[in-house]
Amino acid sequence: MDGMTMAEWLDDFLFTYETLIHALGVHGLLALSMYCVMAVGQLSLGQAAFMGIGAYTGALLTLNLGLPFWLVLPLSALAPAVVALVIGGPTLRLSGVYLAISTIALGEVLRVLYINAEWLTGGALGLSGIPRKADLWLIYLLLFLAVLGFWAVGRSKIGRAMEAMREDEAVAGVMGVNLPVYKMGALVVSAMLAGLAGCLTAHSNSFIGPNEFGFEMAVTILSFALLGGIGTPIAPVIGALVLTSLPEILRPLQDFRLVINGLIIVVAVLFLPRGVIPFRLRRAP
Amino acid sequence: MLSQQLVNGLVLGSTYALFALGFTLIFGVLRVINLTYGFYFTIGAFVALTVAREFGANIWVALPVGALSAGVVAVVADWVLLTRLRRAKAGELSSLMVTLGAVLALYSLMAVFIGTDIQRFPFGFVDNTAIEFGSIRISLVQMLIVGTTFVLVAVLFLLLQRTKLGLMIRALAENEDAARLMGINVGLTVAAVSFLSGTLGGAAGVLIGLNFNAIQPFMGEHMMLRGFAVIIIGGLGDIRGALIAGVLLGVLEVLTAGYISSNAKEAVAFTILVLTLWFRPVGLFGRAQAKRA
Amino acid sequence: MSRLLSRVGAAALGSLMSGSLLVSPVMAQQTVTVGAIEILSGPSAAYGTAIKGGLELAMDEINAAGGVLGGKKLGLIVEDSAGNKDQAVNAARKLVGRDKVPVVIGPTLSNEMFAVGPVTNDRKVVTIGTSTTAKGITEIGPFIFRTALPESDVVPVTLKAAKDKFGVKTIAMMYANDDAFSKSGFDSMKAAAEQLGLTIATIETFGSKDADFSAQLTKIKGLNVDAITISALVEPISGVVLQARQLGIPDSVRFIGGNGANSPKLGEIAGTAADGLLVGSPWFIAKKGETNEKFVSTFKQRYGKDPDQFAAQAYDTMYIVAKAIDTAGAADSDKIREALYKTDFNGVMGPFTFTEGRDPASNEGVVVLSMKNGRFEILE
Repeated sequence: MDGMTMAEWLDDFLFTYETLIHALGVHGLLALSMYCVMAVGQLSLGQAAFMGIGAYTGALLTLNLGLPFWLVLPLSALAPAVVALVIGGPTLRLSGVYLAISTIALGEVLRVLYINAEWLTGGALGLSGIPRKADLWLIYLLLFLAVLGFWAVGRSKIGRAMEAMREDEAVAGVMGVNLPVYKMGALVVSAMLAGLAGCLTAHSNSFIGPNEFGFEMAVTILSFALLGGIGTPIAPVIGALVLTSLPEILRPLQDFRLVINGLIIVVAVLFLPRGVIPFRLRRAP
Repeated sequence: MLSQQLVNGLVLGSTYALFALGFTLIFGVLRVINLTYGFYFTIGAFVALTVAREFGANIWVALPVGALSAGVVAVVADWVLLTRLRRAKAGELSSLMVTLGAVLALYSLMAVFIGTDIQRFPFGFVDNTAIEFGSIRISLVQMLIVGTTFVLVAVLFLLLQRTKLGLMIRALAENEDAARLMGINVGLTVAAVSFLSGTLGGAAGVLIGLNFNAIQPFMGEHMMLRGFAVIIIGGLGDIRGALIAGVLLGVLEVLTAGYISSNAKEAVAFTILVLTLWFRPVGLFGRAQAKRA
Repeated sequence: MSRLLSRVGAAALGSLMSGSLLVSPVMAQQTVTVGAIEILSGPSAAYGTAIKGGLELAMDEINAAGGVLGGKKLGLIVEDSAGNKDQAVNAARKLVGRDKVPVVIGPTLSNEMFAVGPVTNDRKVVTIGTSTTAKGITEIGPFIFRTALPESDVVPVTLKAAKDKFGVKTIAMMYANDDAFSKSGFDSMKAAAEQLGLTIATIETFGSKDADFSAQLTKIKGLNVDAITISALVEPISGVVLQARQLGIPDSVRFIGGNGANSPKLGEIAGTAADGLLVGSPWFIAKKGETNEKFVSTFKQRYGKDPDQFAAQAYDTMYIVAKAIDTAGAADSDKIREALYKTDFNGVMGPFTFTEGRDPASNEGVVVLSMKNGRFEILE
């Protein structure tokens, strides 16, 4: 204990805070997936459900088929993308509340499915013993790439169209923005990001259960994005960092975690429509 | 056994319909998916519970007190959360998000202070013994629920169609600016609608809490998921649709559990919801117009 | 952001200091500290609080009697999991990485153990569940033990009593299919019922937050069974029992509960509707014997309330851990693990040894309780 070297100390430190450090990165990805939908003026409450699909897909591919992780990861992003297509098809034609409500329903449907498809998903007992393959560098590399990607898109012509949709959909439509394609594209990309995050979570916690990807998680993800705001892609990530680390730093806040998340949503929508970080991307000339 | 199952379904379905009435009214008039509605349901039940416990009130006192308190809470919540957005003509998604955040904060705050243990009305608060009609058993509370649901639908209809307030509400539902030009006090009408729906939600909370004898902060949230299904299947803003969809859903759930598998019961609501969204997004009865983007 | 960084920096510095300065060699020699992860806040706080009470009572008795390893004090750090498995993992990582405890007691729920177990087992730190009854807990790894009797040891005793004493032959089975505790309890019940040759007329499920069970109960009523088994948490069980009597299922049809039914809350919520319900328990307050009577009276004196099974199991566990540390001769996880296999202890739950699979070896201590007028009594 006395002759502890720096390396040993660092090892203990990383061990102690590993879960938190992983969660920060994964939550950053989830916040970005929310950002992606909100950037076109839509609201999805299914990010937790998409995350769940990614988590279960990834875990099952690893456990049952023993596929290598570099293959599992993209497949876990693909599965929720397909579901997003199915959900988006009928609802994106209608007003925004229909997408919001059907994505809540999606979470419930999947929960029932996970519980009943016991032969595959382990039912209420969930899946355990998932190998820990989500390395720290991988999580943060993916997060970095995602931010970079959104930043590039935000500065392009596509970004301008998205902003126009967010401000006024009808006007954007008249200006020639292909609304259905943009909405569907955003939903699919956001589902893929959430799926990635889910797969990383499963391969970092080594245990997943059917009740982890429900309404509460969906609202938490929404609060990440709203705290940061959706002016720039880095803002929701910072929102996620703050809301994930805050309860760890201020232990007495634990009980009030959900109260705070809820209040953040209220205050953000009412008073800070551009989030706490109001900067916006400067567009390329 | 089938007849008993149909009664079970009717009772369960009535609870869904009763819950959905106020929810769909808010949307029909104010064009808001107001998620704090679930909290009105919870608070109605808790106020009635407190009145019954602390002051020994009977059901005929506890029910109106609980319902009216929920109405007051609804007016305050609407004023605090939505006035600003309404003035700014913010989209329906903003109001959905605000009420979502608010309801989460309210439930959790209640859970922190009251705890999530299930609470019950005092023993003997209502006569819970079942009455037998041949092979069918139904309790007084259950009859009260079914009766109240149908009566409330009728009263709500008359109110909307035959009274001056009803006229004002319908005008507001049609077009807010036109209503204002016609000299209707929009603020007051909005408050009246909030009060009405809050009272309906509170009454549902008391009766349903009484029937299942289980009251806890998140009871509104569990009900909300069924509530979504009912108001979409019935058509957003459609009161008769909510009644029919609620009863239909209850009966289908009970029959599924009784004759197919209790595992499938949970999936019924959302299966019909998804089918409705695919094939008939205006709702089964097609009166409400879904705003096309 | 800079605030956050400085905070992390401070935490890092703090850890550094505790590594070199704060834990001086003298201190380190005087105390052997073990960790515990229990639910101390949130809706399920009652479980963790009872366990903490049992652990601390035993610890103080052990220290008063001379401590461990020939005069060192036994210490305990209890971390709160709030019933959340992520928080439980964070707590475990802190206990192992920062506090360097050789033994972790807990966590409270099986779900939490499935998340915590792989982490502590990887670090080769002995982990002992005192209340985790689900299947597969000790299979997580060679460092995971439990002193809680798994449901698969308790339920057969209850079902056998129902068969022998009340002639139960045909049963309906009900369980909450959406939580791990209830599902795994049901799996053990089903296996035990098949073993005893009982006829299973139907298996019905419900959600643990459901309030309406009329469809399932109406179906069961039509099947004329002798008894209904139920595996769920106490609140849905109370709801099921109340509605069953309302729907006219006669009192002669007994309910047989899993571990979730073993709670005084059942009587408080369901009243006399729960009368006749049978449940097996590894411990009961009125159990005879000097050790148990002394435990009950000191616990009551210290905390002003009756102990429950969770407190009793925790109390015994602390003694078992202290003995293992003595046998090991050092506060070393590997050696303590070896020593635990040699445990031979007689506590409030009865004689206790571990199997090769690190589970309790005997279920002799199990008593079957029956509900009467809203209170449990030992079934004679």
